[in-house]
Amino acid sequence: MPRVLTLLLAGLFVATACGQTPTTSTATGSPAASASAAITRGGTAIVAVWQEPSTLAAHYQNQTVSGVVTDGVIEGLASTLTDGTYVPVLAQSVPDVANGGVVVKGTKMDVTWKLKPGIKWSDGEPFDSSDVKYTWEIWMKDPKTNNRTGFDQIESIDTPDTLTAVVHYKAIYAPYPLNFTNLMPRHLLEKEADISKTDYVRRPLGTGPFKVTDFKAGDSITLEKNTNYRGAPEKPYLDKIIFKSVPSSQVALAQLQAGEVHAMWNLTEAQTPDVEKTQGLTLQVTPAPTVERIELNTALNKEYPDPNSVHPVLGDIAIRKALLYATPKQQIIDKLLFGKGKPGSSPVSQGWAKYTGTQEGYDPAKANSTLDAAGWVKGSDGIRTKSGVRASLTYATTTGDQLRERVQQVLVDEWKAVGIEVKIQNQPSSVLLSGSCTGKDPRKLGTFDLLMFASSPNIDPHTTIAPRYSSKNIPTQADCSGQNYTRFKNPDADKAIDEAGTTLDLEKRKAAYQTVMKLLNDAYVIIWMYDRARIDARVNALQGWTPNTWGNFTWSVQDWWMKK
Amino acid sequence: MGRYIVRRLVQAVPLLLAISVAAFAIIKAQPGGPLAAYEGNPDFTEADRVRLEHAFGLDQPLPLQYLSWLGNFLRFDWGYSFASHQPVLTLIGERLPNTLYLMGTVFVVVLLIAIPIGVLTAVRQYSWFDHVVTGTIFTFLSTPTFWLGLLLIIVFGLQLRLLPLGGMQTLGAQFDLGDRLKHLILPVATIALVQMGGHVRFLRASMLETIGQDYMRTARAKGLAERVVILRHALKNAAIPLVTIIALDMPELFVGALVTEQIFGWPGMGRLFWDAATRSDYPVLQGILAVSSTLIVIANLFADVMYGWLDPRIRFN
Repeated sequence: MPRVLTLLLAGLFVATACGQTPTTSTATGSPAASASAAITRGGTAIVAVWQEPSTLAAHYQNQTVSGVVTDGVIEGLASTLTDGTYVPVLAQSVPDVANGGVVVKGTKMDVTWKLKPGIKWSDGEPFDSSDVKYTWEIWMKDPKTNNRTGFDQIESIDTPDTLTAVVHYKAIYAPYPLNFTNLMPRHLLEKEADISKTDYVRRPLGTGPFKVTDFKAGDSITLEKNTNYRGAPEKPYLDKIIFKSVPSSQVALAQLQAGEVHAMWNLTEAQTPDVEKTQGLTLQVTPAPTVERIELNTALNKEYPDPNSVHPVLGDIAIRKALLYATPKQQIIDKLLFGKGKPGSSPVSQGWAKYTGTQEGYDPAKANSTLDAAGWVKGSDGIRTKSGVRASLTYATTTGDQLRERVQQVLVDEWKAVGIEVKIQNQPSSVLLSGSCTGKDPRKLGTFDLLMFASSPNIDPHTTIAPRYSSKNIPTQADCSGQNYTRFKNPDADKAIDEAGTTLDLEKRKAAYQTVMKLLNDAYVIIWMYDRARIDARVNALQGWTPNTWGNFTWSVQDWWMKK
Repeated sequence: MGRYIVRRLVQAVPLLLAISVAAFAIIKAQPGGPLAAYEGNPDFTEADRVRLEHAFGLDQPLPLQYLSWLGNFLRFDWGYSFASHQPVLTLIGERLPNTLYLMGTVFVVVLLIAIPIGVLTAVRQYSWFDHVVTGTIFTFLSTPTFWLGLLLIIVFGLQLRLLPLGGMQTLGAQFDLGDRLKHLILPVATIALVQMGGHVRFLRASMLETIGQDYMRTARAKGLAERVVILRHALKNAAIPLVTIIALDMPELFVGALVTEQIFGWPGMGRLFWDAATRSDYPVLQGILAVSSTLIVIANLFADVMYGWLDPRIRFN
């Protein structure tokens, strides 16, 4: 039913959009307002979000949309600019080895944060180093915390004075600058036995430019100007931001076109032509770290295969190469993504660690010659065989994802043309991407041939590279926690990953990740389909937006203003 | 009568238990589960999963999970949503008024329109009025709600720009009755147009049957005015089956309109249920299902009792 509904909605709205006379406006990703324009203060911006944030509490959040709302409310010690550099937010500077803020002690390290003086929570209470310590404590103590990444690497925190927090890590933890991106108020929460049962989950208290004043479930969330904000009274410019909960992205787009909302979060590529031809709307296309890929299983397609077993078809590198050569990435991007994306080349497409190499492009002739040379012979039906093994594979992705289903259609035809038969075998995302062994995620079990999905690394790529490409992290029945789904094994890659994980030297780490990604591409185990963009839209009158690859479009709401 | 009601209520207990077991089993049989939403986050580890499963009580054996839910449910502790951590009773409490407001309006609108039309189409059987109304009603009756809703949005919202596309009120504005009513028109029309057909058809059929009865001729022979004959003698008797239908409609006041609320972004029970279903939010689903099945059982009993009260020829034995 929901799928039928979406299709129909999409169909009907496309139909109406076609009926409108196209305007000459060419509104495309122009970033912020020109600095010369006089800024108007006050006013309300309404932003449509087509997922309802279930909780706003920093440590419980598990939806991107919750962050979209709380980016204007909850702040951290540091954050990331779009080019991937760290900037201090509530700290005076980002500590590192050079400025003496980070001291490595053998296999441990200490990080000293100096806080900006005079910061207040939106209720007027002072923010100090005890809040930093409390944030770590509650993250570790609350049984319902989403995840404890980074916090579980901390041994203790000292607060020698109200503006200094010394964080003692029990290991070398390179992503430390972004460990404290969501600070929690000790004075408010300390006395609570169970935060999940307090008002904080809907009206979190922060130090940001806005505060949550109203949470109407299923309807709207209202943020109002925080008069205790350190930028006040200059900023924020807007008086209010209302996040309106709408049922789907198609409805959000319709409301944006009808002028009922001023901005919308998260459009699909297929919706972009509608925005581009509506006068008065601006599309914001921001490069995102998300990379769509097809992972190829090199071990046997069965539950928990021996990692050293060899897939009868995909075990041959010639087949893996041919699949890549017969993948028309650019054509898919142009036709199906409306040009909003870039051909992929690695798992890390953005930031300081981004891959500088490439992955070979579309060349079906080369696919054919590679297969011929490897002894895969075309049969009467056009499908190749070698020593009695037919080049036949299954291809899984998430059910009901229109874009992915179309990509599959294209690729099945392309691959058939070079003599590889591929059968589509999709599953709901709740199974396919459950990440759970008991939930029968085929990637964990190893029960797939080709599997297409997307993943977004953090600005520090270690949490992406180590669990996914080290041979120690091949999921097995005994330890299913790893994410090396292709069963990629390379001792040099393992070594580079280990090196990167135990040093803070950025240049060394950078080199190590480049090595791993090069080895990965040389093994032809993953086809990097495309680097996805994050697409949002707004009315032209809403000014002051700046894009940020590493944040939501709401990361700098204090700068937004509404043109009268 | 009293004994009958008691007997029916006693019979309802095993029925409701069976429904709750079935609902629990179906919910649990869904692939994924409530922790699926956490996946995709590269920072979410196996250890986090184990910890959260324990915190939510999902590591308990299934029968135990059911029994502990049932025990708490009977003590009016309906648990907490896995997604929002809010008490299920609170979540239902904040959505219920919105659904009552929407479905109550639908209920009144449907009756106000369906009763006169039902009577008129029966009295003027095979007239052009009857044909037009019957044809129109069949058209709407066979229209899927989601399609009709979208059509109304496109025509009245997007193209004519007469009515809002969704929501309950204009955000960021002061309370305004006119604005509230404007937001109500499309969702109410969507549900009412589809729902009305059944009521009209029932009343028409039942009226036609009554009009042919001997006592109608008697009433006319007595010299009663036609208005009195139709309204007092015919309609009163013909309305009995309608009472059943109305009574069976009652649970909908609570459950809301799943599809319509979803399309119009109405913050009611239907959307709560939809969101909970997509997130495998077991406590919320179980709570709503338990209440709605109880209401359906009660509504059935109410219909039966009303039936006997309206028509003394029916005996409860």
